[in-house]
Amino acid sequence: MSHTAGRNQRIALIFLLPAVLILFVTTIYPMVYALWLSFRNYDLSKPFIPRIFVGLANYLEILTSQAFFHALLTTFKLMAMTLSVQLVLGVGIALLVTQKLPGMAVARTLLLIPMMISPVVVGLVWLFLYFPELGYLNYFIGLVGLGPVPWITSTRWALTAIAIADIWQWTPFIMMGTAAALQSLSPEPYEAARIDGNSRWDVFRYVTLPQLKPVLISLLFLRAIDAFKIYDIIYVLTKGGPGDATEVMSLYIYRQSFTFWRMGVGAAASFVSLIIITVLITFFFKSMQRSQVTQAR
Amino acid sequence: MVQWKTMVWAASMATLLGGTALADDKPFAGVELKMLGIGDTSVTRVAPIVGEFEKQTGIKVHIDQLPYPGLIDKIVVEASSSSPTYQLLWVDSPWVGLLGEAGALEDMTARAKRDAKEIGLDDIIPVQLQENTWQGKLLAFPASGMIWMQQYRADLLENADEQANFKKKYGYDLAPAKTWAQYRDIAEFFTRKKGELAGGKPLDFDLYGASQSYSRVQGAITHDYFPFMRSFGGDYWDPKTGLCAMTSDAHVKAAEYMKSLIPFNPPDYLGLMWDIQSGFMERGEAAEAAYWSVRSVRLTNPKEATLATIGKAGFAESPVSDAGPQPTYTGTLGFAINAKSSDKEKDAAWEFIKWATSEKIMRRFADEGSGVSQFRKSILSDPALQKKYPYYKVLLDSQVNARRRIFHPFYQDMEENFGVELSKYMAGETPTALEALSNACNAVNSRLSIFPLEQRLRWIQDVPAEVLAK
Repeated sequence: MSHTAGRNQRIALIFLLPAVLILFVTTIYPMVYALWLSFRNYDLSKPFIPRIFVGLANYLEILTSQAFFHALLTTFKLMAMTLSVQLVLGVGIALLVTQKLPGMAVARTLLLIPMMISPVVVGLVWLFLYFPELGYLNYFIGLVGLGPVPWITSTRWALTAIAIADIWQWTPFIMMGTAAALQSLSPEPYEAARIDGNSRWDVFRYVTLPQLKPVLISLLFLRAIDAFKIYDIIYVLTKGGPGDATEVMSLYIYRQSFTFWRMGVGAAASFVSLIIITVLITFFFKSMQRSQVTQAR
Repeated sequence: MVQWKTMVWAASMATLLGGTALADDKPFAGVELKMLGIGDTSVTRVAPIVGEFEKQTGIKVHIDQLPYPGLIDKIVVEASSSSPTYQLLWVDSPWVGLLGEAGALEDMTARAKRDAKEIGLDDIIPVQLQENTWQGKLLAFPASGMIWMQQYRADLLENADEQANFKKKYGYDLAPAKTWAQYRDIAEFFTRKKGELAGGKPLDFDLYGASQSYSRVQGAITHDYFPFMRSFGGDYWDPKTGLCAMTSDAHVKAAEYMKSLIPFNPPDYLGLMWDIQSGFMERGEAAEAAYWSVRSVRLTNPKEATLATIGKAGFAESPVSDAGPQPTYTGTLGFAINAKSSDKEKDAAWEFIKWATSEKIMRRFADEGSGVSQFRKSILSDPALQKKYPYYKVLLDSQVNARRRIFHPFYQDMEENFGVELSKYMAGETPTALEALSNACNAVNSRLSIFPLEQRLRWIQDVPAEVLAK
């Protein structure tokens, strides 16, 4: 019996090995290498600079850099803009498309399209729309007599322009998750609320929303991780400019690593980002647990 | 039987001898080269005819054309690889120090000296060769010569009504600007809305007085600011410390002047990259632009620029500031050989460079109407070609007293830091030019100051090109 169990375990390990190897090559090794890099003075474009161990110097440089904190603040601003609008719009559209109305199934499918497009393509599509001289958006704005808006070429508008593109792409994600949750809700509380004569708003506020809360927190949590890493759309639309108006964390890391070629500083900035996002996740998890405990009581 | 054997022997010998002759004729037959190039005139003109080079030499050349933003990043990655994909690299002259100090480019000095007559070394404007050197070594070969100069709508500046109105308003004759103050007056004068008259005709579009680069992308703004700074009497480095010294009055005045041109530029000025900036001139939507001559050829070609149909392009040397005439910046776009290529590939790459930059090919481009910005005296001084391309004379005359651009190993730090800081200043986010320039200089100096003084001074020293030594 024990001989068979041991054999089974070995077979299981053999089957697991390819997955473990892939995980090691694609995730663990690069991460350990990046950690090693973050403690070194490594400039890819200047082999004459000794690639020596510098301890925490790269981390200290980042944590005393104004540009780093500006990038962090810009990232949080963008996250606040996109997540709040995506949540409101996503839930609203989900409530609409789960109604038993004609054409809703088709609408649901069509609304998912933006989410399936690569972010680079989304960036290019919005670049055509925002393009200062020839963009469609300014053309349509012009038809109603409003002046052209310098969407991506003004420090005032650029971050909003990025947020609009991100909202367009990722609102369907919230919509999809919420719609699925809405369809799985038990009908009994609704019947009870209707018998009690509650208004539609009260039903939504006191029946639907509390039941959706865990799902919404999970969806927001997934979007927050993604929004924190946003890169492609910004790279295509503004490359962090004008000035540093749209320079978020990922662009800051890119600039350190592939413009200044300071791979050590770039790696250190990545790890600081990782720590920040881990703290955020932990905070979300804790608040979710607290909310579930409160609901259970 | 004997006769048959004799015939076989004779045929074999003939084949063998013929083959040897063929191999001698094409010693590089079968060699394949890849070029990491740009999608602009210095490469787009030569790319369609590389088949002719293959026929002549047996060397097959594949050219990958990439946009300028990001190209240096790919070249750095390529240079740091131990097994390179590209043997030929397109190089903008400010990159020569960065790539040269890293040992990424093959020194072509010996080859150029050996083949001096064949390549017409004396025919090349000396500063164009100097532009491609690092510590005196020739690391790239000119494929396109540039100067930062004035380009304007000659049809508007030569219009009698416009001239009369201009004189009435400003008190002097309308002509290509000699000073930056005049350049701004002209820009202000011609900033007009759609429907207003320009040159006696109603405009179909908004006409902007000027079109300059203000975008931070790939430091585009610095490619205009640095020549402005030079024109106002500024320079990059402190000759005593080898550190960034771009915070003097001249530097501040240059930045403030550039900002003063914003009201006459397109409203989305912060997005003006080179192609967008030059696009305004090409469509005739800007009255003037101080710009690099790399795309000037397009302005006189109706297939590439509307301006050639609706108006006329004019060219003049860069205006001067209160500091008086200053040597303007020149520039070169060149072809280089990856130092990690094999010896045979390096020799084959040199053959390609000789062919692609030869007087014959360059003249052919000029004759066909699709000439690149030239660097050969014989072509630039040709009266027939000067008539065809009015900017040739300006390009030639400006080179006499021109100075090479930045060539420092930390060029990218300069371009990026000044790009971001100047863009913020132009957007009004940084209140003063001095603050923006100080921020950028401090960022550059924080990296440079760790190096010994001797090394910093070596990096800013423009050692005369060995290839020019007699």
